[in-house]
Amino acid sequence: MLVEFDLIRRAQAGDNAAFNDIVLAYRKRVMGTVARMISRPEDVEDVAQEVFLRLYFSLDQLRTAEVFEPWLHRLTVNAAYDYLRKQRRRQEFRMSDLSEQQVVLADALASGKVDLDERRQEKVRETVDALLGAVSEADRILLVLKEVQGLSLKELEKVYRVNENALKVRLFRARQRVIKAFGERDGSAPANTGD
Amino acid sequence: MEAKHGREERTLDALFAAYRDCPTPEPSVNFMPELWQKIESRQRFTFSFRRMAGAFVTAALALSVALGVYMSIPHANPYYSETYVDALAEANSLDLPDIVAPVFTDQADPSR
Repeated sequence: MLVEFDLIRRAQAGDNAAFNDIVLAYRKRVMGTVARMISRPEDVEDVAQEVFLRLYFSLDQLRTAEVFEPWLHRLTVNAAYDYLRKQRRRQEFRMSDLSEQQVVLADALASGKVDLDERRQEKVRETVDALLGAVSEADRILLVLKEVQGLSLKELEKVYRVNENALKVRLFRARQRVIKAFGERDGSAPANTGD
Repeated sequence: MEAKHGREERTLDALFAAYRDCPTPEPSVNFMPELWQKIESRQRFTFSFRRMAGAFVTAALALSVALGVYMSIPHANPYYSETYVDALAEANSLDLPDIVAPVFTDQADPSR
C-alpha cells in the first residue's frame, strides 16, 4: 500500500485534501498501467484522470480501506477498456495517428536524437504494443496486469472477481493468441529482442 | 515441437520483462488542477441534473394531484346534459303512431 488506511477512510468521509494525497501517491503507478494498456502516450493522462474521477465518485461504495488497491486496479481496467473500445470504433483515425508516430520516431532515429538504449526500448515498446494490439482488449489488459505490472493471481482474483483456475485458463489462452499473432507478424516464432 | 513452444514462451517472457523496464510517461504539472476541474465540472453537472430531476418530479406530483382533484369533483357536461334513457324516450315519443300508412281516397266517382 502506498498510503495509510486512515487516509482512505478520511477521503471516504469527504476530505478532499486526503483524496488529493491519494492521487499524488498513486498517479504515477496508474499512469504506468494505463500507458501499457492503451499505448497512446498523448491520451494516458486523460485516461488516468478518468480513473481518479471515477474513484472520487465511487469512494463511498468501497466497503473497507483494505480492498482499496484491487478497487483502483478495477477502475483502471474499466477506464482503459472503455477507452480501447472507443478507439476501436475510431480505428481509421487511430491508424493514421500511429503512422504519424512512426514518422516522428523515424525522424528522431535518423537525426540521432535518441541514444542506443532509448532506441532499443522504443523497439521493444513498438513490438509489444503491436503484439498486444493484435489481440482483444480483454486479453491485452489481462496480460499487462499479469506480465508487465506483475500482479499475482491472488491480486487478479480480486480485480476480476473470478477464481484462480479460470484466470489461469484465460492467461494461457491470451498468451497463446499473442504467440500466434507474433508468428503471423514475422512469419515465424517471436524474434529475440534482447539485443 | 515442445522445444519450439518453450522457446516462444521464453522469448515472450523476455519481451514482457524488457517492456516492464521501459519508462512510462510522467504526470504533467497540470495533472492535479485538471483533475480537480473535471471533478468540479462533474459535480456541477450532477447537482444541476438532480435539481432538474427534483423539479420535474415536483411538477409531475402537482399535476397528478390537480388532475385527481379535478376528476373527483362532479360537474355538468355541456354536451351531454341528458341520460341515454332520456334521449331514447325523446326520440321515440309515445304520442306518435309507430307506423303511419298512406290513406287512399277515391274522389273521381262521387256515386260510389
